[in-house]
Amino acid sequence: MAETQAPFAAVKVEALVVMKIIKHCSQTFPTTATGSLVGMDVDGTLEVTNTFPFPVVEMPTESHFDNAAPNPAAAAPRAKSNVAYQAEMVRMLREVNVDANNAGWYTSANMGNFVNMNVIENQFFYQKELNERTVALVHDVSRSAQGSLSLRAFRLSAKFMEAFKDNKFTSEDLQKSTLRHQDIFEELPVQIHNSHLITSYIHQLQAPAASGPTDLPASLSALEASPFSKHNTLTPNFDNLSLNVDPFLEKNCNLLLDSIEAHNTEVNNYQYYQRVLGREQQKINNWKQKRSQENATRATLKQPLLPEDEWQRLFKLPAEPSRLESMLNTRQVEQFSRQVDSFVSSTTGKMFAVKGNLLPGETA
Amino acid sequence: MAEDSFLHLARPLGPVSVGTAPTTAPLNVVIQPQAIFSILDHSLRRNADQERVIGTLLGTRSEDGGEVEVRSAFAVGHSEAEDQVEVDMEYHKQMLALHLKANPREVLVGWYATSSELNTFSALIQNFYSGQGDGTWPHPAVHLTVSTEAGKDLETRAYISAPVGVTAERAADSAAFIPVPYELRYGEADKSGLEAIANAKDSEDRSTTVMSDVEALERAIEEVLGMIDRVSRYVESVIDEEAPASTAMGQFLLNALALAPKVEPADIERDFNNHIQDVLVVSYLANTIRTQMELSNRLATAQLTLGGGEASGVSGEGNQRNQRGGKGGRQQRQERAAPEEARA
Repeated sequence: MAETQAPFAAVKVEALVVMKIIKHCSQTFPTTATGSLVGMDVDGTLEVTNTFPFPVVEMPTESHFDNAAPNPAAAAPRAKSNVAYQAEMVRMLREVNVDANNAGWYTSANMGNFVNMNVIENQFFYQKELNERTVALVHDVSRSAQGSLSLRAFRLSAKFMEAFKDNKFTSEDLQKSTLRHQDIFEELPVQIHNSHLITSYIHQLQAPAASGPTDLPASLSALEASPFSKHNTLTPNFDNLSLNVDPFLEKNCNLLLDSIEAHNTEVNNYQYYQRVLGREQQKINNWKQKRSQENATRATLKQPLLPEDEWQRLFKLPAEPSRLESMLNTRQVEQFSRQVDSFVSSTTGKMFAVKGNLLPGETA
Repeated sequence: MAEDSFLHLARPLGPVSVGTAPTTAPLNVVIQPQAIFSILDHSLRRNADQERVIGTLLGTRSEDGGEVEVRSAFAVGHSEAEDQVEVDMEYHKQMLALHLKANPREVLVGWYATSSELNTFSALIQNFYSGQGDGTWPHPAVHLTVSTEAGKDLETRAYISAPVGVTAERAADSAAFIPVPYELRYGEADKSGLEAIANAKDSEDRSTTVMSDVEALERAIEEVLGMIDRVSRYVESVIDEEAPASTAMGQFLLNALALAPKVEPADIERDFNNHIQDVLVVSYLANTIRTQMELSNRLATAQLTLGGGEASGVSGEGNQRNQRGGKGGRQQRQERAAPEEARA
């Protein structure tokens, strides 16, 4: 698996799956929701055809990173009890002709804050233990609430998988592997696919049965009570015309500040390590010097020499902290700033439009 | 569809002793789109020789039992022969248990079938679902039919049942299906998803990609323009006396126009400038932070080429200072950046 390309190039998600994920994620919002995806992979496209949510179970964190926050829902995909649940569910689904192959898992996110240890470990677990052909779908609840659906598919890159397997995240290893934060995830394009039945169903919803001319309403109340104003199925979504920018910006700023905080902690940790390392090396040097002086005097006195490599037993060098956290953090910040950029591009457009409309005389 | 009108009267029926019969009080059924989608998906995956497929509906019931919300559905295998029907009850029970584990708030509310036909088998299954023990008793079980016959419109109907039959044996395999009103309802959160799905409806391969923010905005604006066009065409034709005028319509449009806010130009100018500055500053800062962090990480991992541990200490130091500078300089930079970018 090391050098092979991703086994598929795109992800095709059935409408059913989209709706189920949205339902589950928004139901549990703001807690993280996770679930499993089943599907098939056909000619380089992973088709996700069904999904089911994971039950939230209390479980001890088995993470080999002790500082991972205990969040039962976020860790659910790799919990032991859920592996059994998943196997059981897949077996049941197979009986009713669903494509019962594991295709990955999904998680909900809030403002793009999905780059964390949990997601990495889950996806690692899936790609390693179960099946190379798995994908993580991330549904961003708060961004979807702004009007346009946010559903993205990620895989861990082969390079990262390798490094993560052996937990090689010291600076030396990173230098050798030239692994950068951009290389953690591979994003795959997501396509939404409808079955024939759903296509016709949607067409039917949008064209209400009323045909032929209808009578004009007699009064305002009659108009408001008429089936046309109530027929709100699949009305276009105008949420993304909203001009309310502040909550989004505020949230993003908070998230960014948190990231800076995290980055600072990491830098401090690293500095502490550097200081300790420096001190220890100083000590070792002192000891070596002393020993060689002693040996020099011993040589002049024709006494047997003392071994010079004893320092390896006497002193212990501190372990270098893993740089994984800061890498993830950087990736997260990149994610945030992309998000802000895309928000800004649409918002400025809206704002200038509003200004132009309300102040017709001036050109902005 | 929803245009059907209903007059639903509760009536006591059948020979079943009082207390065991499920209530037949009027109720309203609300269906969420993902349940319908599940049903349609199941219908597609039926075995070739199967006329219809059935499954279990899950959802919530309002406290007085007057409204049932169908939230999800799962398929249950069954087979029909000339004179007998077999439903995989074991499967239903296991699947129900699995579902409830993940969705503890949902309960069994009824079942669906993918044909509009109601027959003896429907009655049998209905009685199972509304029965005591495993069924929905004392609430009525909702039966939803979604016809998926090729070449015809999809037709959805919702029923509850009342027991009929003169003897107890007859009552077991018969039921009077009472149509109940239903509506399709979806929440705010589903809207964006449905929109994306609806996007694919006109394309040849029935698929679409997820839109970016700007694309979504463009689409929304186009739609608004289309609506305005339609309304203005109508108004024009009324003015030209081509279409009959309607006072109510005029009043409605006038009300809509009156919603346009009246704001002083100076206020607009001020608000506009404030907001655009906020937006641009946040964008600028976000990108600055990203660059800073990336730089700091690059420096930290590039240390060995600079000559061992000493150098890394220095670069770590440098990062730290940058970081502080980034924070401390935030305020000034904000002020400096805003007018610059606003001008640009």
